Amino acid sequence: MEEKENKNSKKIAYYPGCSLKSTAMDFNVSIEKVLDLLEIEYEEIPDWNCCGTTPASNISDELVATLAARNLLLAAKMGLKDILCPCISCYNKLHKASYYINNNKGELKNSREEKKRDSIFKALKEMGFDTEKNFNIKVYSIIEFLNLQKELIGKKYKELESKRDKNSRSCSILDSLKPVCYYGCAMLRPEGVPKFDDIENPTSMEEILKMVDIKCEDFQFKTECCGAILSLTNKDEVLRLSGEILDSAAMESGANSMIVFCQLCQQNLDLRQTQINKYNKTHFHMPIIFITQILGMALGLSPEEVMLNKLFVSPAVIGKKN
Amino acid sequence: MAKTQKDLKKIKSDLLNYIEPNIYNCYQCGKCTAGCPMADTFEYKPNQIIRLIMLDKIDKILDSNSIYLCISCDICTSRCPQKVSISAIMNFIRNESWKIGEFKIKNISRFYNLFLRILGKFGRSYEPGLIMGLNVLSGKFFNDADIAVKIMGKMKIRMLPEIIKGRKSVAKVIKKYL
Repeated sequence: MEEKENKNSKKIAYYPGCSLKSTAMDFNVSIEKVLDLLEIEYEEIPDWNCCGTTPASNISDELVATLAARNLLLAAKMGLKDILCPCISCYNKLHKASYYINNNKGELKNSREEKKRDSIFKALKEMGFDTEKNFNIKVYSIIEFLNLQKELIGKKYKELESKRDKNSRSCSILDSLKPVCYYGCAMLRPEGVPKFDDIENPTSMEEILKMVDIKCEDFQFKTECCGAILSLTNKDEVLRLSGEILDSAAMESGANSMIVFCQLCQQNLDLRQTQINKYNKTHFHMPIIFITQILGMALGLSPEEVMLNKLFVSPAVIGKKN
Repeated sequence: MAKTQKDLKKIKSDLLNYIEPNIYNCYQCGKCTAGCPMADTFEYKPNQIIRLIMLDKIDKILDSNSIYLCISCDICTSRCPQKVSISAIMNFIRNESWKIGEFKIKNISRFYNLFLRILGKFGRSYEPGLIMGLNVLSGKFFNDADIAVKIMGKMKIRMLPEIIKGRKSVAKVIKKYL
Protein backbone atom coordinates (compact mmCIF):
# COMPACT_ATOMS: atom_id res chain seq x y z
CA MET A 1 0.00 0.00 0.00
CA GLU A 2 1.15 3.50 -0.74
CA GLU A 3 2.06 5.87 1.96
CA LYS A 4 0.49 9.26 1.98
CA GLU A 5 2.78 12.26 2.29
CA ASN A 6 1.14 14.48 4.82
CA LYS A 7 1.35 18.17 4.06
CA ASN A 8 -0.17 19.31 7.29
CA SER A 9 2.35 18.20 9.88
CA LYS A 10 0.00 19.20 12.69
CA LYS A 11 -2.60 16.57 11.89
CA ILE A 12 -2.81 13.81 14.47
CA ALA A 13 -3.85 10.19 14.31
CA TYR A 14 -6.61 9.33 16.76
CA TYR A 15 -6.74 5.98 18.54
CA PRO A 16 -9.91 5.86 20.66
CA GLY A 17 -9.69 2.27 21.92
CA CYS A 18 -12.54 -0.16 22.54
CA SER A 19 -14.06 1.42 25.66
CA LEU A 20 -14.46 4.82 24.07
CA LYS A 21 -16.52 3.25 21.33
CA SER A 22 -18.81 1.61 23.85
CA THR A 23 -19.15 2.23 27.60
CA ALA A 24 -17.21 5.52 27.44
CA MET A 25 -18.92 7.00 24.40
CA ASP A 26 -19.39 10.27 26.31
CA PHE A 27 -15.61 10.60 26.64
CA ASN A 28 -15.09 9.94 22.93
CA VAL A 29 -17.75 12.40 21.82
CA SER A 30 -16.51 15.14 24.13
CA ILE A 31 -12.91 14.68 22.96
CA GLU A 32 -13.90 14.92 19.31
CA LYS A 33 -15.99 18.03 20.01
CA VAL A 34 -13.15 19.71 21.92
CA LEU A 35 -10.65 18.91 19.15
CA ASP A 36 -13.09 20.47 16.66
CA LEU A 37 -13.47 23.58 18.81
CA LEU A 38 -9.70 23.93 19.06
CA GLU A 39 -9.49 23.42 15.29
CA ILE A 40 -7.08 20.52 15.67
CA GLU A 41 -7.11 18.25 12.66
CA TYR A 42 -7.34 14.56 13.50
CA GLU A 43 -8.19 11.29 11.82
CA GLU A 44 -9.15 8.01 13.43
CA ILE A 45 -6.69 5.24 12.59
CA PRO A 46 -8.57 3.01 10.12
CA ASP A 47 -9.12 -0.62 11.16
CA TRP A 48 -7.34 -0.21 14.49
CA ASN A 49 -7.33 -3.23 16.80
CA CYS A 50 -7.62 -3.62 20.57
CA CYS A 51 -4.27 -3.02 22.30
CA GLY A 52 -4.78 -6.15 24.41
CA THR A 53 -4.85 -4.12 27.64
CA THR A 54 -4.36 -5.76 31.06
CA PRO A 55 -5.18 -9.38 30.09
CA ALA A 56 -2.65 -9.45 27.24
CA SER A 57 -0.07 -7.58 29.26
CA ASN A 58 -0.40 -9.94 32.23
CA ILE A 59 -0.07 -12.95 29.94
CA SER A 60 2.91 -11.81 27.89
CA ASP A 61 4.64 -8.48 27.36
CA GLU A 62 5.55 -9.58 23.85
CA LEU A 63 1.90 -10.30 23.00
CA VAL A 64 0.70 -6.89 24.17
CA ALA A 65 3.53 -5.06 22.39
CA THR A 66 2.76 -6.86 19.11
CA LEU A 67 -0.96 -6.09 19.34
CA ALA A 68 -0.29 -2.44 20.14
CA ALA A 69 2.43 -2.12 17.48
CA ARG A 70 -0.01 -2.93 14.66
CA ASN A 71 -1.82 0.33 15.44
CA LEU A 72 1.40 2.32 15.37
CA LEU A 73 2.25 1.03 11.92
CA LEU A 74 -1.29 1.75 10.70
CA ALA A 75 -0.73 5.36 11.80
CA ALA A 76 2.65 5.42 10.04
CA LYS A 77 0.89 4.21 6.90
CA MET A 78 -1.39 7.26 7.13
CA GLY A 79 1.77 9.38 7.00
CA LEU A 80 1.23 10.57 10.57
CA LYS A 81 3.61 10.28 13.48
CA ASP A 82 1.70 11.81 16.39
CA ILE A 83 -0.98 9.63 17.94
CA LEU A 84 -3.52 10.87 20.46
CA CYS A 85 -4.58 7.99 22.68
CA PRO A 86 -7.06 9.10 25.36
CA CYS A 87 -7.55 5.73 27.06
CA ILE A 88 -4.71 5.61 29.56
CA SER A 89 -4.44 1.82 29.47
CA CYS A 90 -4.14 1.81 25.67
CA TYR A 91 -1.73 4.74 25.96
CA ASN A 92 0.64 2.73 28.11
CA LYS A 93 0.54 -0.25 25.76
CA LEU A 94 1.02 1.89 22.64
CA HIS A 95 3.79 3.85 24.30
CA LYS A 96 5.58 0.66 25.28
CA ALA A 97 5.25 -0.64 21.73
CA SER A 98 6.74 2.59 20.37
CA TYR A 99 9.97 1.70 22.21
CA TYR A 100 10.38 -1.39 20.03
CA ILE A 101 9.20 0.34 16.85
CA ASN A 102 11.22 3.56 17.11
CA ASN A 103 14.54 2.00 18.12
CA ASN A 104 16.70 0.24 15.57
CA LYS A 105 18.27 -3.16 15.89
CA GLY A 106 21.03 -3.10 18.48
CA GLU A 107 19.71 -0.02 20.27
CA LEU A 108 17.62 -1.81 22.89
CA LYS A 109 18.41 -2.43 26.57
CA ASN A 110 19.50 -6.09 26.35
CA SER A 111 19.41 -9.25 24.27
CA ARG A 112 15.97 -10.29 25.58
CA GLU A 113 14.50 -6.99 24.42
CA GLU A 114 16.26 -7.38 21.06
CA LYS A 115 14.72 -10.80 20.65
CA LYS A 116 11.33 -9.38 21.47
CA ARG A 117 11.82 -6.61 18.93
CA ASP A 118 12.73 -9.18 16.28
CA SER A 119 9.62 -11.26 16.87
CA ILE A 120 7.34 -8.19 16.95
CA PHE A 121 8.75 -7.07 13.60
CA LYS A 122 8.40 -10.57 12.21
CA ALA A 123 4.72 -10.63 13.16
CA LEU A 124 4.18 -7.16 11.67
CA LYS A 125 5.88 -8.19 8.44
CA GLU A 126 3.58 -11.20 8.18
CA MET A 127 0.65 -8.80 8.52
CA GLY A 128 1.93 -7.05 5.40
CA PHE A 129 3.58 -3.97 6.88
CA ASP A 130 6.73 -2.38 5.53
CA THR A 131 9.09 -2.85 8.46
CA GLU A 132 12.31 -1.84 6.77
CA LYS A 133 12.14 1.90 7.35
CA ASN A 134 12.82 4.08 10.37
CA PHE A 135 9.87 4.97 12.53
CA ASN A 136 9.51 7.99 14.74
CA ILE A 137 6.14 7.69 16.39
CA LYS A 138 5.05 9.69 19.41
CA VAL A 139 2.02 8.69 21.46
CA TYR A 140 0.25 11.30 23.58
CA SER A 141 -2.06 10.75 26.52
CA ILE A 142 -5.02 13.12 26.70
CA ILE A 143 -3.66 15.23 29.58
CA GLU A 144 -0.19 15.53 28.06
CA PHE A 145 -1.86 16.63 24.83
CA LEU A 146 -4.29 19.11 26.42
CA ASN A 147 -1.44 20.47 28.51
CA LEU A 148 0.37 21.38 25.29
CA GLN A 149 -2.80 23.09 24.01
CA LYS A 150 -3.30 25.07 27.22
CA GLU A 151 -2.66 28.49 25.70
CA LEU A 152 -4.99 27.71 22.80
CA ILE A 153 -7.72 26.63 25.22
CA GLY A 154 -7.26 29.88 27.15
CA LYS A 155 -7.41 31.93 23.96
CA LYS A 156 -10.61 30.26 22.73
CA TYR A 157 -12.21 30.72 26.13
CA LYS A 158 -11.34 34.44 26.23
CA GLU A 159 -12.75 34.95 22.75
CA LEU A 160 -16.00 33.41 23.88
CA GLU A 161 -16.02 35.37 27.14
CA SER A 162 -15.73 38.72 25.38
CA LYS A 163 -18.79 37.95 23.27
CA ARG A 164 -21.26 37.15 26.00
CA ASP A 165 -22.91 38.89 28.98
CA LYS A 166 -21.00 39.18 32.19
CA ASN A 167 -21.82 36.80 35.06
CA SER A 168 -23.47 34.14 32.98
CA ARG A 169 -21.83 31.06 31.69
CA SER A 170 -23.39 29.22 28.86
CA CYS A 171 -23.83 26.31 31.21
CA SER A 172 -24.91 26.78 34.83
CA ILE A 173 -23.52 23.44 36.01
CA LEU A 174 -20.00 24.84 35.73
CA ASP A 175 -20.76 27.59 38.27
CA SER A 176 -21.90 25.18 40.94
CA LEU A 177 -18.93 22.82 40.60
CA LYS A 178 -16.58 22.41 43.51
CA PRO A 179 -14.41 19.73 41.96
CA VAL A 180 -11.30 17.73 42.71
CA CYS A 181 -9.09 16.38 39.93
CA TYR A 182 -8.43 12.67 40.08
CA TYR A 183 -5.49 11.31 38.07
CA GLY A 184 -5.37 7.62 39.00
CA CYS A 185 -2.24 5.54 38.58
CA ALA A 186 -1.30 5.33 34.98
CA MET A 187 -0.53 8.83 33.70
CA LEU A 188 3.02 9.23 34.96
CA ARG A 189 3.99 6.24 37.08
CA PRO A 190 4.63 3.49 34.51
CA GLU A 191 8.30 3.11 33.66
CA GLY A 192 9.43 4.91 30.54
CA VAL A 193 6.47 7.27 30.04
CA PRO A 194 7.31 11.00 29.82
CA LYS A 195 7.29 12.59 33.27
CA PHE A 196 5.74 15.92 32.24
CA ASP A 197 4.35 16.54 35.71
CA ASP A 198 5.05 15.66 39.34
CA ILE A 199 4.43 11.94 39.91
CA GLU A 200 3.07 12.19 43.46
CA ASN A 201 1.27 15.52 43.17
CA PRO A 202 0.45 16.27 39.55
CA THR A 203 -1.23 19.61 38.80
CA SER A 204 -1.59 19.67 35.01
CA MET A 205 -5.36 19.04 35.08
CA GLU A 206 -5.84 21.91 37.53
CA GLU A 207 -3.73 24.14 35.29
CA ILE A 208 -5.71 23.24 32.19
CA LEU A 209 -8.98 23.93 34.02
CA LYS A 210 -7.63 27.25 35.32
CA MET A 211 -7.60 28.37 31.68
CA VAL A 212 -11.41 28.18 31.66
CA ASP A 213 -11.84 29.69 35.15
CA ILE A 214 -12.53 26.48 37.01
CA LYS A 215 -10.98 26.27 40.43
CA CYS A 216 -10.28 22.86 41.94
CA GLU A 217 -9.94 21.74 45.53
CA ASP A 218 -6.79 20.13 46.83
CA PHE A 219 -7.06 16.36 46.94
CA GLN A 220 -4.94 13.83 48.81
CA PHE A 221 -6.04 10.78 46.83
CA LYS A 222 -5.32 12.18 43.35
CA THR A 223 -2.99 9.38 42.35
CA GLU A 224 -4.37 6.46 44.37
CA CYS A 225 -5.59 3.43 42.44
CA CYS A 226 -9.34 2.79 41.99
CA GLY A 227 -8.86 -1.00 41.60
CA ALA A 228 -9.02 -0.86 37.82
CA ILE A 229 -9.94 -4.05 35.95
CA LEU A 230 -10.35 -6.09 39.17
CA SER A 231 -13.97 -4.89 38.98
CA LEU A 232 -14.65 -7.89 36.75
CA THR A 233 -13.00 -10.53 38.91
CA ASN A 234 -12.49 -9.21 42.47
CA LYS A 235 -15.18 -6.58 42.79
CA ASP A 236 -14.96 -6.06 46.56
CA GLU A 237 -11.42 -4.73 46.23
CA VAL A 238 -12.59 -2.11 43.75
CA LEU A 239 -15.50 -1.11 45.97
CA ARG A 240 -13.10 -0.69 48.90
CA LEU A 241 -10.43 1.30 47.02
CA SER A 242 -12.90 3.46 45.09
CA GLY A 243 -14.80 4.07 48.32
CA GLU A 244 -11.66 5.51 49.92
CA ILE A 245 -11.22 7.86 46.97
CA LEU A 246 -14.80 9.15 47.17
CA ASP A 247 -14.49 9.50 50.93
CA SER A 248 -11.35 11.62 50.70
CA ALA A 249 -12.83 13.81 47.95
CA ALA A 250 -16.07 14.48 49.81
CA MET A 251 -14.99 14.51 53.45
CA GLU A 252 -11.45 15.90 53.32
CA SER A 253 -11.61 18.14 50.27
CA GLY A 254 -15.27 19.06 50.56
CA ALA A 255 -15.75 18.53 46.85
CA ASN A 256 -19.12 18.02 45.16
CA SER A 257 -17.74 16.54 41.95
CA MET A 258 -14.69 14.83 40.52
CA ILE A 259 -12.96 15.46 37.21
CA VAL A 260 -11.21 12.50 35.57
CA PHE A 261 -9.62 11.45 32.28
CA CYS A 262 -9.54 7.65 32.61
CA GLN A 263 -12.69 5.83 31.54
CA LEU A 264 -11.98 2.87 33.78
CA CYS A 265 -11.66 5.07 36.88
CA GLN A 266 -14.77 6.90 35.70
CA GLN A 267 -16.68 3.65 35.28
CA ASN A 268 -15.64 2.29 38.67
CA LEU A 269 -16.51 5.53 40.47
CA ASP A 270 -19.65 6.53 38.54
CA LEU A 271 -21.40 3.37 37.36
CA ARG A 272 -20.51 1.50 40.55
CA GLN A 273 -21.16 4.37 42.97
CA THR A 274 -24.36 2.74 44.24
CA GLN A 275 -22.44 -0.51 44.83
CA ILE A 276 -19.62 1.45 46.53
CA ASN A 277 -22.10 3.19 48.83
CA LYS A 278 -23.77 -0.09 49.71
CA TYR A 279 -20.47 -1.88 50.38
CA ASN A 280 -19.00 0.89 52.53
CA LYS A 281 -22.33 2.01 54.07
CA THR A 282 -21.93 5.55 52.73
CA HIS A 283 -24.27 7.96 50.91
CA PHE A 284 -22.10 9.81 48.46
CA HIS A 285 -23.55 11.57 45.45
CA MET A 286 -20.47 12.57 43.54
CA PRO A 287 -20.72 13.12 39.78
CA ILE A 288 -17.58 11.87 38.00
CA ILE A 289 -17.09 14.03 34.93
CA PHE A 290 -14.59 13.73 32.08
CA ILE A 291 -12.25 16.71 31.72
CA THR A 292 -13.20 17.07 28.05
CA GLN A 293 -16.89 17.32 28.98
CA ILE A 294 -16.00 20.23 31.29
CA LEU A 295 -13.78 21.88 28.68
CA GLY A 296 -16.44 21.45 26.01
CA MET A 297 -19.08 23.14 28.16
CA ALA A 298 -16.69 25.92 29.15
CA LEU A 299 -16.01 26.51 25.47
CA GLY A 300 -19.68 26.94 24.71
CA LEU A 301 -21.13 23.48 24.14
CA SER A 302 -24.36 22.40 25.79
CA PRO A 303 -24.44 19.54 28.35
CA GLU A 304 -26.26 17.42 25.75
CA GLU A 305 -23.54 17.98 23.17
CA VAL A 306 -20.89 16.59 25.52
CA MET A 307 -23.26 13.76 26.56
CA LEU A 308 -23.44 14.79 30.20
CA ASN A 309 -26.74 12.88 30.39
CA LYS A 310 -24.79 9.62 30.03
CA LEU A 311 -23.31 9.98 33.53
CA PHE A 312 -24.96 7.66 36.04
CA VAL A 313 -24.50 10.01 38.99
CA SER A 314 -26.21 13.09 37.65
CA PRO A 315 -24.49 16.47 37.97
CA ALA A 316 -27.88 18.18 37.64
CA VAL A 317 -28.44 17.81 41.39
CA ILE A 318 -25.46 19.97 42.35
CA GLY A 319 -26.66 22.57 39.86
CA LYS A 320 -29.96 22.80 41.73
CA LYS A 321 -28.51 22.95 45.21
CA ASN A 322 -26.68 26.19 44.57
CA MET B 1 2.47 -29.34 39.41
CA ALA B 2 3.86 -28.34 36.12
CA LYS B 3 6.70 -26.26 37.40
CA THR B 4 10.10 -27.89 37.65
CA GLN B 5 13.30 -26.86 39.39
CA LYS B 6 14.64 -26.01 35.95
CA ASP B 7 11.74 -23.63 35.29
CA LEU B 8 12.29 -21.90 38.61
CA LYS B 9 16.03 -21.52 38.07
CA LYS B 10 15.45 -20.07 34.62
CA ILE B 11 12.89 -17.58 35.93
CA LYS B 12 15.40 -16.33 38.48
CA SER B 13 18.34 -16.11 36.07
CA ASP B 14 16.26 -14.33 33.39
CA LEU B 15 14.95 -11.99 36.05
CA LEU B 16 18.46 -11.05 37.17
CA ASN B 17 19.88 -10.86 33.66
CA TYR B 18 17.15 -8.97 31.87
CA ILE B 19 14.48 -7.52 34.13
CA GLU B 20 16.16 -6.22 37.27
CA PRO B 21 19.89 -6.83 37.75
CA ASN B 22 19.82 -4.57 40.82
CA ILE B 23 17.35 -6.57 42.87
CA TYR B 24 19.97 -7.06 45.62
CA ASN B 25 19.95 -3.30 46.21
CA CYS B 26 16.69 -3.81 48.11
CA TYR B 27 17.24 -3.16 51.83
CA GLN B 28 13.70 -4.08 52.90
CA CYS B 29 12.54 -0.60 53.89
CA GLY B 30 8.96 -1.62 53.06
CA LYS B 31 8.03 1.58 51.25
CA CYS B 32 6.58 -0.43 48.34
CA THR B 33 4.29 -2.31 50.70
CA ALA B 34 3.28 0.85 52.55
CA GLY B 35 1.98 2.37 49.32
CA CYS B 36 0.55 -0.78 47.73
CA PRO B 37 -3.27 -0.56 47.50
CA MET B 38 -3.56 -4.35 47.40
CA ALA B 39 -1.03 -5.26 50.13
CA ASP B 40 -3.81 -6.12 52.61
CA THR B 41 -5.06 -8.90 50.36
CA PHE B 42 -1.63 -10.19 49.27
CA GLU B 43 -0.40 -13.41 50.87
CA TYR B 44 3.13 -12.04 50.37
CA LYS B 45 3.64 -8.25 50.41
CA PRO B 46 5.74 -6.60 47.67
CA ASN B 47 8.87 -6.38 49.86
CA GLN B 48 8.44 -10.05 50.81
CA ILE B 49 8.25 -10.97 47.12
CA ILE B 50 11.66 -9.39 46.58
CA ARG B 51 13.05 -11.26 49.59
CA LEU B 52 11.60 -14.57 48.36
CA ILE B 53 13.34 -14.11 45.01
CA MET B 54 16.66 -13.54 46.79
CA LEU B 55 16.08 -16.72 48.81
CA ASP B 56 15.36 -18.79 45.65
CA LYS B 57 11.75 -19.36 46.69
CA ILE B 58 10.00 -18.38 43.47
CA ASP B 59 7.70 -21.43 43.83
CA LYS B 60 6.16 -19.76 46.88
CA ILE B 61 5.45 -16.65 44.81
CA LEU B 62 3.80 -18.70 42.06
CA ASP B 63 1.61 -20.45 44.64
CA SER B 64 0.46 -17.28 46.39
CA ASN B 65 -2.15 -14.78 45.21
CA SER B 66 0.07 -11.68 45.11
CA ILE B 67 1.28 -11.53 41.51
CA TYR B 68 -2.21 -12.33 40.20
CA LEU B 69 -4.00 -9.67 42.24
CA CYS B 70 -1.40 -6.96 41.53
CA ILE B 71 -3.10 -4.18 39.52
CA SER B 72 0.18 -2.83 38.08
CA CYS B 73 -0.46 0.64 39.50
CA ASP B 74 3.33 1.08 39.77
CA ILE B 75 3.28 2.84 43.15
CA CYS B 76 5.94 0.39 44.39
CA THR B 77 8.40 1.09 41.57
CA SER B 78 7.88 4.84 41.54
CA ARG B 79 8.52 5.15 45.29
CA CYS B 80 11.41 2.71 45.69
CA PRO B 81 14.42 4.59 47.12
CA GLN B 82 16.73 1.95 45.60
CA LYS B 83 15.05 2.12 42.18
CA VAL B 84 14.14 -1.56 42.10
CA SER B 85 11.53 -2.17 39.36
CA ILE B 86 9.16 -4.14 41.59
CA SER B 87 6.20 -3.80 39.26
CA ALA B 88 8.21 -5.10 36.28
CA ILE B 89 9.39 -8.04 38.41
CA MET B 90 5.80 -8.89 39.37
CA ASN B 91 4.72 -8.72 35.72
CA PHE B 92 7.63 -10.87 34.57
CA ILE B 93 6.82 -13.64 37.06
CA ARG B 94 3.13 -13.37 36.10
CA ASN B 95 4.04 -13.78 32.39
CA GLU B 96 6.28 -16.77 33.19
CA SER B 97 3.54 -18.30 35.30
CA TRP B 98 1.15 -18.16 32.33
CA LYS B 99 3.81 -19.71 30.12
CA ILE B 100 4.30 -22.75 32.36
CA GLY B 101 0.58 -23.11 33.10
CA GLU B 102 0.79 -22.12 36.76
CA PHE B 103 -1.69 -19.24 36.75
CA LYS B 104 -3.22 -19.73 40.18
CA ILE B 105 -6.43 -17.73 40.40
CA LYS B 106 -8.98 -19.43 38.19
CA ASN B 107 -11.51 -16.62 37.76
CA ILE B 108 -8.72 -14.31 36.57
CA SER B 109 -7.21 -16.78 34.09
CA ARG B 110 -10.73 -17.52 32.83
CA PHE B 111 -11.28 -13.81 32.26
CA TYR B 112 -7.98 -13.40 30.37
CA ASN B 113 -8.73 -16.43 28.23
CA LEU B 114 -12.19 -15.23 27.30
CA PHE B 115 -10.90 -11.72 26.62
CA LEU B 116 -8.27 -13.00 24.19
CA ARG B 117 -10.73 -15.31 22.46
CA ILE B 118 -13.10 -12.40 21.85
CA LEU B 119 -10.18 -10.32 20.59
CA GLY B 120 -9.16 -13.06 18.19
CA LYS B 121 -12.69 -13.24 16.83
CA PHE B 122 -13.43 -9.55 16.28
CA GLY B 123 -10.08 -7.76 16.59
CA ARG B 124 -11.62 -5.55 19.24
CA SER B 125 -13.05 -6.08 22.69
CA TYR B 126 -16.78 -6.76 23.00
CA GLU B 127 -18.11 -5.90 26.42
CA PRO B 128 -21.57 -7.54 26.40
CA GLY B 129 -20.03 -10.85 25.31
CA LEU B 130 -17.26 -10.56 27.87
CA ILE B 131 -19.53 -9.78 30.81
CA MET B 132 -22.16 -12.39 29.94
CA GLY B 133 -19.47 -14.96 29.20
CA LEU B 134 -17.86 -14.37 32.59
CA ASN B 135 -21.16 -14.76 34.41
CA VAL B 136 -21.89 -18.03 32.62
CA LEU B 137 -18.39 -19.43 33.22
CA SER B 138 -18.40 -18.48 36.89
CA GLY B 139 -21.97 -19.68 37.42
CA LYS B 140 -22.90 -16.31 38.96
CA PHE B 141 -25.57 -15.45 36.43
CA PHE B 142 -26.85 -12.34 38.17
CA ASN B 143 -23.51 -10.80 39.08
CA ASP B 144 -23.67 -7.07 38.32
CA ALA B 145 -27.28 -7.35 37.14
CA ASP B 146 -27.92 -3.95 38.77
CA ILE B 147 -25.16 -2.48 36.61
CA ALA B 148 -26.48 -4.11 33.46
CA VAL B 149 -29.88 -2.52 34.08
CA LYS B 150 -28.25 0.89 34.51
CA ILE B 151 -26.18 0.58 31.35
CA MET B 152 -29.16 -0.54 29.29
CA GLY B 153 -31.28 2.29 30.70
CA LYS B 154 -28.87 4.80 29.21
CA MET B 155 -27.88 2.64 26.24
CA LYS B 156 -24.28 3.33 27.19
CA ILE B 157 -22.81 0.29 25.49
CA ARG B 158 -22.32 -0.99 21.96
CA MET B 159 -24.62 -3.97 21.59
CA LEU B 160 -23.09 -5.44 18.43
CA PRO B 161 -19.36 -6.13 18.16
CA GLU B 162 -17.16 -4.02 15.90
CA ILE B 163 -15.38 -6.37 13.56
CA ILE B 164 -12.14 -5.25 11.93
CA LYS B 165 -10.64 -6.34 8.63
CA GLY B 166 -7.34 -7.25 10.25
CA ARG B 167 -8.92 -9.69 12.70
CA LYS B 168 -7.14 -12.66 11.16
CA SER B 169 -3.71 -11.14 11.80
CA VAL B 170 -4.79 -10.34 15.35
CA ALA B 171 -6.01 -13.91 15.86
CA LYS B 172 -2.72 -15.28 14.58
CA VAL B 173 -0.73 -13.25 17.12
CA ILE B 174 -3.01 -14.36 19.97
CA LYS B 175 -3.17 -18.05 19.05
CA LYS B 176 0.27 -18.81 20.46
CA TYR B 177 -0.79 -17.79 23.94
CA LEU B 178 -4.08 -19.61 24.35
